[in-house]
Amino acid sequence: MTNMNVLVAAMRCEWRILRLDPALWLVLAMILGMVAYALYNGETLVARQAAAVAAANTEEQEPLAKLRKGLADIQASRVAPPDAPFRDPRNALFVGSGSAATNVALPAQPLAITAIGQSDLYPATLRVSAGSKDSFFFADEIANPAHLLSGSFDLAFVLVFIYPLWILALTYNLVSGEREQGTLALTASCPVQVRTVMAGKLLVRAGIPMLVTVAAVFAGLALIVGGTLASGGQALAVLSLAIIVYGAFWVVLAAAVNGLGRDSAYNALLLVAAWIGVLLIIPSLVNAWSEARYPSPSQAEMVLAVRAASADADRERNAALARYQDEHPQGTALQRGSYRERTLRRLAVQLAATARSEEIMAAHEAQLQRQHDLAGRLAYASPALLMHDALAEIAGTGRSRYRAFFAQVDRFHREWREFFISRAQAEQMLTSGDYSHFPQFSFADNPGTGILSRVASALIGIGVPVLLLAAMAARGLRRCRVVG
Amino acid sequence: MSTVATDIAACAATTFGRWRVVRAVAVKELLDIYRDARFRWLAALTLLLMFCALVFGVDQVQRTDRDRVAAAQGDRQLWTAQGAKDPHAAAHFGQYAFKPQSPLALADPGIDAYVGSAVWLEAHKQNEVQFRAARDNPLSARLSSLSLAFVLQAMMPLVAIMLGFAAFSGERERGTLRQLLSLGVRPIDLLVGKGLAIVGVLVAMLLPAFIGILISCFMFVDSSMFSLGDQVARLVWLALGYVLYLGGFAALALAVSAFSRTSRMSLVGLLAFWLINCFLVPRLMTDVVRNTLPLPTALEFRQAIVQDKKKTFGHDESHPAFVAFRDRVLKQYDVTRVEDLPVNFRGLSLREDDENGYRIFDRHFGTLQEAYYRQDRWRAAPGFVFPLLAIQPYSMGLAGSDTRGQYHFTRAAEQHRRAIQTMVSDDLIRNGRYGDSTYVAGPDLWARISAFSYRPPQAWWALSAQAVNLLVLVAWWLAAGLLAVYAVRRLRPI
Repeated sequence: MTNMNVLVAAMRCEWRILRLDPALWLVLAMILGMVAYALYNGETLVARQAAAVAAANTEEQEPLAKLRKGLADIQASRVAPPDAPFRDPRNALFVGSGSAATNVALPAQPLAITAIGQSDLYPATLRVSAGSKDSFFFADEIANPAHLLSGSFDLAFVLVFIYPLWILALTYNLVSGEREQGTLALTASCPVQVRTVMAGKLLVRAGIPMLVTVAAVFAGLALIVGGTLASGGQALAVLSLAIIVYGAFWVVLAAAVNGLGRDSAYNALLLVAAWIGVLLIIPSLVNAWSEARYPSPSQAEMVLAVRAASADADRERNAALARYQDEHPQGTALQRGSYRERTLRRLAVQLAATARSEEIMAAHEAQLQRQHDLAGRLAYASPALLMHDALAEIAGTGRSRYRAFFAQVDRFHREWREFFISRAQAEQMLTSGDYSHFPQFSFADNPGTGILSRVASALIGIGVPVLLLAAMAARGLRRCRVVG
Repeated sequence: MSTVATDIAACAATTFGRWRVVRAVAVKELLDIYRDARFRWLAALTLLLMFCALVFGVDQVQRTDRDRVAAAQGDRQLWTAQGAKDPHAAAHFGQYAFKPQSPLALADPGIDAYVGSAVWLEAHKQNEVQFRAARDNPLSARLSSLSLAFVLQAMMPLVAIMLGFAAFSGERERGTLRQLLSLGVRPIDLLVGKGLAIVGVLVAMLLPAFIGILISCFMFVDSSMFSLGDQVARLVWLALGYVLYLGGFAALALAVSAFSRTSRMSLVGLLAFWLINCFLVPRLMTDVVRNTLPLPTALEFRQAIVQDKKKTFGHDESHPAFVAFRDRVLKQYDVTRVEDLPVNFRGLSLREDDENGYRIFDRHFGTLQEAYYRQDRWRAAPGFVFPLLAIQPYSMGLAGSDTRGQYHFTRAAEQHRRAIQTMVSDDLIRNGRYGDSTYVAGPDLWARISAFSYRPPQAWWALSAQAVNLLVLVAWWLAAGLLAVYAVRRLRPI
């Protein structure tokens, strides 16, 4: 018999045995049940976020319509212009910083329901105004903090935490089980390579949960996401690849442990220990070390610096006003409390706060980036960390897409400020024409960075230990003890 | 029958003798545990993790505290250096309240990373607490985060399982169970002996963690804010909670071991329960309560407040409520013009508007908080079967890092905001003249308005809030203990 024939025969035999094992059907039932529930759950959360975005966009229209009407009334001399600048629909500074502020949102990608990622930590929309960035950037969505702490039962959780256990449950006694039953000696006495027979067994025992998981994910997504799934073809292909590669890590780990030639109880304990190490201990140490090495910057420090800048600007404005009044004792144009003085004061304070907050937030971002870079490098110590990150990237809820979003929000914020602040600085009133040309935000995914390129390094990071463990497993199985 | 066997049989018949049997079983069990390389590895790893959690935790708590103290001092400086200005403008400038981290966050940081740490106390508005630290963390922090709570809640049950899974099934497999029972040793004495040994080991492993926390409390606690005695009381109750939690696991491991035909079956069953308890059920319950008892969105919450605030007048002097208030005041002082009032009407109207706002904020924030509590209660309900659901809120509650602790802080900050509003409005009422926009208050008023000083709640407050979860933990411990007793009564020697 050729090796290929032996492999096929071993796979057939294994399938006949395995289908009589209740453990297989229990695992398959769990796969279907958990994948279905996780996708349903993801869909519920994404739908809620979409509803929040829609509600925010609707809410935005009401004050805008009011402003337009107020402006039309003033222009048609139906009403007198208001005394207070913050009530004046022509006042560029107050309109851009307040009632006309616009909502921006990160659109969900077709596979968003597969991983909640960072999306539950950020609000569904940010309300960009002409004020300083800190005035809108730190807004939060209402969420029970205990729920954020525990995390959601999404597909990412199922794939990272539970999926390895399904594989391990069927493969932990691959060789040891045969040895304990005495059938390994029987196999070894036949004119076939034990390694080939074991490879056949492994392909069946690991292949079934892996393929059923991929199939369940495909079927679930097709049912829930439906037509829009077609636009996520690349994401779906990368998701399947990630499931296979991550599963392969656990399969070859089980094979390598079996290659040690110990009994089934030992294998089970060692594999559970590996699961705990890869999923719990290494990630917790990686996070603790990254945070200790590059601590998150103090937001309190930023609050204080922005307030100090605003207070300084306010004081400077007082001094400027006093100088003006000394030099123009009869002048009324800049009296304290006048329309013009209040606008100019607010402008000065806002500009100072913006400059300071941008400076500090950029420094904070750089500090955080160092922490994230370190955590990213250390993540290679745990395939679970890499898989977790990769799944969020595939779903479009990971760090890199949020970074891109915040960078685009930042650019949009500048554009928005430029539009309103430049008019305020020139003391120009807004016209109905201006209202039609308010800047619009539209998020664009960078076409240069496809999903595969974002997760390629993670997949390679999982793939390398797969190769090493596969070599170890092959060596171990070649030298495997036949009798206990 | 040998003489030794006869002695044991005689011993087993008397109370004193039974205690000797229990002691002998416990000593033998301890010796077995000590000799077990698997346990030694697991114990060493767990203790190492505890040590790392303590070291990183102390560093983090101290850093957070340093930042908070510096920020609070800086904010005070800004407040007192405002210079002369309209008191209401000062109220708009406001103050910041920074949340101090509980010293026992070292034991359980709880929700601290998922709630804000600073709130702006400004005129007219009760703001939400801002700056969730979790937003800054890498995504990997959502996978697993190192803390003593993680070690005690997730790793220590594994230690209990490792200690107990083969307690009876292993004896049965080796044939020693038959020998023991044939000597007249009662199964219940075996259970007590083995249980004592396992609980003894667990307590010995808990001790370094709690001693570490105690030492760090003595060394680093800010005694102006936190009472040391109170922290010790919290720590004692916390330890009790963990002993019940882990004691239940030890009893469950013994019960399953007694029921199981083989040690492997016992181990698989216990590991499956550990996995379900520590990872599956918490997430499952989170989603169930989130979907069945939904919270309002931030927009809905804000809109509801805005809707109610429309009934108050704010700065709108044409609002019917403003007109009604003005008429009431004029009538009260028996004058016809606000200019004739002996007090400043602007100050009066600001105070009235503030007080109307307080009722609205109390209602909305109170309702939201009640919604959190309702979710938390339902989430913890299956805690007597899956004890992580009870120990998690209990531990956070006693450590002062739970939703209730956060709300206590937000209430205190809001009370301070109201005190600021009242003082600046009163100054305006007494000293300002109606229509005179030039009136300004000086630095003496800013100095008279104190800085925010927070007194965290005492241990009994946290304990009373967690009484139900403590009872649930007792129920879990009792149920697991009774299951173990039931299992050993049906113990099969072969």
